[in-house]
Formats: sequence, C-alpha cells, structure tokens
Amino acid sequence: MDEATQTVRAAIQQSLAAALPDHQALDWDVALSATAGLDSIQIMNLVMEIEDHLDVSVPVDVLADAHTLNELAAQLEKLVGDAAT
Amino acid sequence: MSLFDKFDPLVQSRRALDFDGPAPVATPFEDIASPTRGTVAGQEVILAGTNNYLGLTFHPEVIQRATEALETLGSGTTGSRMANGSYADHGELECDLAQAFNWPSAMVFSTGYQANVGVLSSIVGPGETLLIDADSHASIYDGCRMSKAQTITFRHNDVANLDRKLARLGDDAKRTLVVVEGLYSMLGDQPPLADFVEVKNRHGAWLLVDEAHSFGVFGHHGLGLTEHFGLLDEVDFIVGTFSKSLAGIGGFCVSPHPEAELMRLASRPYIFTASPSPAVIAGTRAALKLLTSGQDLRRQLHKNMTRLYSAASDLGYALGSDQPGPVAALILPDKATALAHWQQLLAQGVYANLMIPPATPAGLCLLRLSLSAAHTDEDIDAIIHALSALKSERTQAISA
Repeated sequence: MDEATQTVRAAIQQSLAAALPDHQALDWDVALSATAGLDSIQIMNLVMEIEDHLDVSVPVDVLADAHTLNELAAQLEKLVGDAAT
Repeated sequence: MSLFDKFDPLVQSRRALDFDGPAPVATPFEDIASPTRGTVAGQEVILAGTNNYLGLTFHPEVIQRATEALETLGSGTTGSRMANGSYADHGELECDLAQAFNWPSAMVFSTGYQANVGVLSSIVGPGETLLIDADSHASIYDGCRMSKAQTITFRHNDVANLDRKLARLGDDAKRTLVVVEGLYSMLGDQPPLADFVEVKNRHGAWLLVDEAHSFGVFGHHGLGLTEHFGLLDEVDFIVGTFSKSLAGIGGFCVSPHPEAELMRLASRPYIFTASPSPAVIAGTRAALKLLTSGQDLRRQLHKNMTRLYSAASDLGYALGSDQPGPVAALILPDKATALAHWQQLLAQGVYANLMIPPATPAGLCLLRLSLSAAHTDEDIDAIIHALSALKSERTQAISA
C-alpha cells in the first residue's frame, strides 16, 4: 500500500469516527446508501470531514460515482494526486 | 425485474407515513377560502404552511388584473418565449423587475425551479466551478448537474469553509460562481451574507443569491436579504420566485450585468418551456407593485414573525433559527413525535408542514410553520394557543 493510499484510508477512518460514530465498522465493499443504509446527508457529512482531513475539495459528481468506501478511496487518491501535482 | 423496482425505498418511506386521517405529505385541500383559511378533511384550518408570506393570493388588485388578462388574452400562451410566448406583459414584468433593482437585466422563467436550473446551467459550464451551500434547494443541485461545471459544496453557512475551498481553487476562483440562499426554507435560517461577500470579493469569485423565501420579506422595498444588508452592489445575480410573496407561479433572475441577457440564447429551461400564462403574469405584476410600494404588509408579517418566534421559544421549542423569519421550524426529537405534532396541530385547526429526513438538513425532524402578513393577531393567538396546548399534552403524556 503506497503512501497516498494509506493517507486516504486513514482520513476516511478518522472521518467515519467523527461524522458517523455508529458506522465505523462499515464493510468497505458495501454500497453506502443501498446496503449500509446511509442517507445522502450522512454521506455528504462524511465527505466534508474527509475534505478537511485531506485538504481537498471533492466535486459532487465524484460522490455520484463512488458507491462504496473503496470506490470513494480510489476517487480520493486521484484527487490527492492531482492536488499534489 | 421491473423498471419500477428502484422506487421500492421511496414506497417504503412513504408507507411509513400512512395512517388513518389526512396525509401529512401532499395533503389534499378540499377548499381554499382565503390566504389563511382552507379546509382539510372537512375541517376549516388556519393555513400556516403555505409560504404565502404577504398573503396576496386573494388581493383584489391581483385577482382583478389576472381576471382581465384571462378574459382578454386567453388561458395560455401555448408557446415558449423564443417562439410565440412573449406577450407585452411578459416584457413589462421584466421591466418592472429590472426597475425595482435598478439593474439592466431581468428574465422571467416559468417556475422558480426553472429559474435556478435555467440560470445555473447556462451561466456556468465545463471548465468552470459552482460552489454551493450544502443545504441548497434541489433546483440549485439540479442546475449544477445540468451545467456540467465542477460542483463543490461548502458547509452550510460556513464562511471559513467557503474561504478554504475558494483558496484551493487558486486562479480558478475567478471563474467560480458561489451560490447561497437569502433564507433557507427548512430551518428558516439566514446566511451571513456580508461575510460571504467579503470572501468572494477577496478571491474574485462571482455570487448568486437565491431570494426565493426572502423576496418580499426583507429589505426596505422588499427586494430580499441582499437589499436588507445594503449589498445590492456586491452580488452578480439574484434569483427569485413568484410562488411565495408574489402569490403566483414563475421565477426570475435579475442582474447588474447587461450580458446576463445572453442567457435568453443559451438557457434550455428558458428556451424550451411554454411561457407563463397571461393571467399569471398580470397577477404577478400587480403583486410586485404591492410588494415594492409599501411597508404595511411587511410590518404585519414581521410583527407575526416576532410574536410566533418569541412564543415558541417561551414554550420550550427548539427553533431552526434564532433570527425571526417567515419560517418557524420547530425541531422535534424523532419522526414519530414530529408526525404526532403535525396531526395534533391539525386537529386543533392549524395546518403546518411536516418535514423529515432525507428532505431535511442534518437529519432533523421538523414541524415547519410559515407566516403571512394576512394572519391576523387573532390567527397568531390561535397558532400559539394550539402550540401551547400541544406542549402541555405532550408533557402530560411523557409524565404519565
């Protein structure tokens, strides 16, 4: 696991604890809305926490394409990489 | 496998609100007798959930102008503004709006929803950015999606968060439109508009204020929160609706930039929609004249706002905003309590709005009351009395 991946995963974990304390044990491969039962507001709050941790802004369409935490992590790695270049 | 399977979660959410009695969602009104009286399930109720802030839906001048237009110009334009749907009154209403703001550009849209979608989707495009408050209305989100611009949300009413996100954009901030609302309809709270203006100016960004719920309510001439704070020289676009203070249906965008008129050539929701009917336009012109020409309606509305906010607070209700406004949102602990409040308030003759997640910010359960200049002192007394009775009933039930 490279450094960017570790940074993103740590940020997601910390943000889960802050934004969704009842959902910290989420399976990273389940759909956040359909399976984990998070509503759009909970997902948005989670992403805003992640933005603060990583110092990036996550466009709304990125969220539409990321249905699981692993998919979100992959999108965030790209954003973090773009921000660094 | 059916195309309709995807609606199952919505059906389940809707079923959770099924019970014997009037529906709290899409409540059927058997009759509307005045801006403040209607009939639900055979019972006359005070209307305190209709966004009829100035109470102009039955004003004689509005009715007369609308009736004359209906009789002389017919029931509909049967075409878009770009084709055969631009009557003299459509242009006159745009002139009225432009003159009210003393700005060179005003465009009328067929609904308030379409005004936001039509403006955002044409003013901002690929390679540009929309920075919108996270609690924005669905029409703002939909306009962003249609624009194909990069869309980023900032935390609700959080100036520092907006500042950080504009800073991250660097030079691209100059090609970024910040979008806020003059009053957020769920909680009834207002933005720190002067602070947002300072931040967007420092980054060279653009600003649109959606005054759907604040037009007619705030400002010396009723032009909204932007006028109230003396910031009309600091914004680039103001969007509004005819379906609240102006008692009709439709929307508008006004701008100090004459180039805003170019949207007429590019805005698909403007181009490909039939224009508002002559009666709607004529009624709206009459309502706009009433809205901008005097203070009496706003004075009565503000008196009602202050009384209800004060009484609800004294009764121990948590409110969505500490600044009195035309929307008083009572924050309740859960869906069941909110539904019980809605039912009991209706039983006591007051119609309000039940608002529950996911339609609400922060997952809150709300009983939303909207006030009107047409509410009399006695109407406000009755609403406060109903809330008081409700509070003591609930207290007794909890004690038992």
